[in-house]
Amino acid sequence: MDEVVNEFITESHENLDQLDQELVALEQNPDKNVLARVFRTIHTIKGTSGFLGFGTLESVTHVGENLLSKLRDGDLQVTSEITSGLLAMLDAVRVILDSVVATGGEGGLSFPDLVDRLSRLNNGEHVGTVATHNAIEAKVAIEANNVEKEAIAEPAAATVELEEEPAMSEPPTPLRAVRGGKAKTTTGISAAAVKKPRKSAGRTISVVTVTSEKSFDGVLVETESIEDHAVDVDGMFGVQLLESGKITEAQLADALQQQDQGDTRRVGEILVEQSAISSKEVTQTLKAQSEDRTAVTESIRVDVGLLDDLMNLVGELVLARNQILQFTQDQSDPSFNATSQRLNLITTELQAGVMKTRMQPIENVWNKFPRVVRDLTIGCGKQARLEMEGKHTELDKTLLEAIKDPLTHLVRNSVDHGLESPADRLAAGKPAEGVVRLAAYHEGGQVIIEISDDGAGIDAAKVRRKAVQKGMLTADEAAGRTDREILNVIFLPGFSTAESVSNISGRGVGMDVVKTNIEGIGGSVDVQTVLGKGTTFKVKIPLTLAIIPALVVTVGDGRYAIPQVSLLELVRLDGHHGENGIEWIQGVPVHRLRGRLLPLVFLNAVFDAGSSTDDREAFNIVVVQADDHQFGLVVDEISDTAEIVVKPLGRLLKHVEAFAGATIMGDGRVALILDVMGIANHVGITAGQRSTSRSNASAEELSEAMADRRRLLLFSLGERRLGLPLEAVARLEEFRPEDVEISSHRPVVQYRGEIMPLVHLSDELNIPVKRTADQPMQVVVYNENNVSVGLVVDEIFDIVEEAFQITDRTSARGIQGTAVIQGLVTDVIDVREVLNGALPGLLTRAVGAAA
Amino acid sequence: MRILIVDDSRSMRMILKRMLADMGHTDVVEAEHGADALDRMLESTPELALVDWNMPVMNGLEFVTELRTKREYDKVKVMMVTSESSPRLVYEALKAGADEYAMKPVTREVIEDKLQLLGLG
Repeated sequence: MDEVVNEFITESHENLDQLDQELVALEQNPDKNVLARVFRTIHTIKGTSGFLGFGTLESVTHVGENLLSKLRDGDLQVTSEITSGLLAMLDAVRVILDSVVATGGEGGLSFPDLVDRLSRLNNGEHVGTVATHNAIEAKVAIEANNVEKEAIAEPAAATVELEEEPAMSEPPTPLRAVRGGKAKTTTGISAAAVKKPRKSAGRTISVVTVTSEKSFDGVLVETESIEDHAVDVDGMFGVQLLESGKITEAQLADALQQQDQGDTRRVGEILVEQSAISSKEVTQTLKAQSEDRTAVTESIRVDVGLLDDLMNLVGELVLARNQILQFTQDQSDPSFNATSQRLNLITTELQAGVMKTRMQPIENVWNKFPRVVRDLTIGCGKQARLEMEGKHTELDKTLLEAIKDPLTHLVRNSVDHGLESPADRLAAGKPAEGVVRLAAYHEGGQVIIEISDDGAGIDAAKVRRKAVQKGMLTADEAAGRTDREILNVIFLPGFSTAESVSNISGRGVGMDVVKTNIEGIGGSVDVQTVLGKGTTFKVKIPLTLAIIPALVVTVGDGRYAIPQVSLLELVRLDGHHGENGIEWIQGVPVHRLRGRLLPLVFLNAVFDAGSSTDDREAFNIVVVQADDHQFGLVVDEISDTAEIVVKPLGRLLKHVEAFAGATIMGDGRVALILDVMGIANHVGITAGQRSTSRSNASAEELSEAMADRRRLLLFSLGERRLGLPLEAVARLEEFRPEDVEISSHRPVVQYRGEIMPLVHLSDELNIPVKRTADQPMQVVVYNENNVSVGLVVDEIFDIVEEAFQITDRTSARGIQGTAVIQGLVTDVIDVREVLNGALPGLLTRAVGAAA
Repeated sequence: MRILIVDDSRSMRMILKRMLADMGHTDVVEAEHGADALDRMLESTPELALVDWNMPVMNGLEFVTELRTKREYDKVKVMMVTSESSPRLVYEALKAGADEYAMKPVTREVIEDKLQLLGLG
């Protein structure tokens, strides 16, 4: 494409993003400066498209420009239908620009409806807020995905009541009164005094053009109108001082009045004379103004590709620096050491500097949200105000791109699902207008973005119900989770608490995609909610992807880096804990960490690293989190934390899911970066969840399945196959026959410093078994209120989580019923009933003891 | 001949710059708005300034007005290049000290003609 066209497209897109926001701002608060800026942008697009021969673009922007010029001149007032019309025009402009990008031309697009609508608005007619549909219909011919996203907009039926237009003109102020008068040629303040007008300064600056144009008649022009301008350049300086709080409005009005009465000095001079300010303050303000302005012009545009290359090179430099620093440890040459220290410092600064060049304010993404919120509120009949805090917070450009869609979804979600309808809000004693608040800030090397609303909050009970209904969790699981844990269910695929499927948030990405996308860039998302008060989504993302903090561990001969984002804590088991801290449940090693079972993964086994854990006295466990699963990685040694430069793996190793990349350590050796999620998948830690969260089964199937979905421990007694509810199982143990002693006529074993009675299930259930005296006994340890009982069984097969129904309710003592599990008939045991029969009074005693 | 282009649109500056280059004028300085133009002029005084009307910070009319208060820039010719087309605005610009006025979209021929008129062709 032609370079000029390319430049035009880039420039126009930059301006359009800003325009969306400004139009929405205008609707709420008609500001002449903003209006002038909007006008200028459209005017520029129109002008340039004329040069480039884009006729449709020119015609569309031309009617828009006419409308804007009427607004600017005060002939029309900004209303929501005009705003909608102008937004529709922006959409059309985007559609055309996209067509130019895609096809090199306007592709025969035309927007007769839009042009007609804008013309009618221009004539002061009412057209209703028919929204951006017209612009969108014309678009079908070309591919324009991103436009579609923008175009959610208002409902087709334009039933929105039009409000009485807010008055456009501002209340008279002393300043304006003064300026209307005869002006002076006070051009003493140099160009440096001119600064980009600010909102609140609006009334002073743009008045000139407007008044002169309005009062203008024919070709004659009053020379004063030009001189007026000079006053305004000067007057603006006054407003600067006013804004900074150095003078009061009355003082400025006085000064202007004095000018008006023939004083030819500048405002600053008059103010100094009146002792309103010191001359130092005048100079300061002037200086600030000129600095402000040069900041705008002293920037250059750089190709992102070049920045990427630079970043890579800096990464290499960091590695080389790390290696040099490693050398210095064995060097005694002081000048070499001093030089490497300097190299170290310079590299660090260079790294920070290059990273900075890639930084962009989050504002670039947030800019489009006012429009999103506006369109949404109109679409779903709500009222919302968008507040932003920390929009200058910067983060890496790549990351910014990556969080754009997830953030948009979260904002939409807040308006659509978070905020209540105005009626409900009033009923709850809240103002009808809801608030969606965006906040961004840095915290501990991460960027935190919060999206909060003051809506109804998320009802954990409802989520729990829904999760069970949809078969994402069993009733037991749901009941066993805390409210906080339950909230995370909303990030599972296929979950939605919305009572009715709304056409706004219900489409496109769901919360699961939000989570996946954010985690894809090494971030995390968390939800907090207070019922009736509102919901906050907290998104944490790393500052950059290229260089990350990591924990370096050793397994066998190899060193591995674990990204800090997935780290939870480090646990060391030694001495007594080393032996007893790791238990085996059905072949899976676990550690009890503060009352919860933490599955363990022996990395030396996974990587076949050659080191053995058999005779080890101490274990280092790195507790990590992947998705909703916490698990422990057992490593040989924990070395250090380090800033590592992420290098992608070669093609041959790419498919190995356990690794996310590689890095080069200070001594020049390569360390692989662990992909915690990949390891979890590899060893099957997430498998259970996968099957339960599967949501493609029909609703009937699911609700049927939910009826009796339980986890069972399967074992055998003689020829019989039995199941025991897993929640009744505390541990699985093996005892040798010689361990068994007799106490009070009952078999007991010494277990964990206590005496544990043994119950032979075969005796209690009258199932004949062949028992040989020299074989070890398989024992299921049942624990209730700190009293343990060992249930002796023949052979333990498996733990299953399955939907089954107890079909045959027998009257046999100790049997809940019979079910078909894994295609085989299985009796399910009622443990309490068995124990009450075998050891009457034991369990009640236990309750008594515990109390 | 050194020419200063004052326009807030990058693409418009590029268009004008190309047009001038086609005509053999390669000594071109660019400014984003009036105040920026005044700064640039401190570094090097052009013989001609092509000035847009609608610009942020300091618009074209303000720029010409300001420029004409400075004696050292007496020799600088100013041509407004804008799509503002009402006779009143043309008059205003000329009154403020602009030497020529060309309507956007301007063609190479128009610019050549105007340069002739200004004695710069």
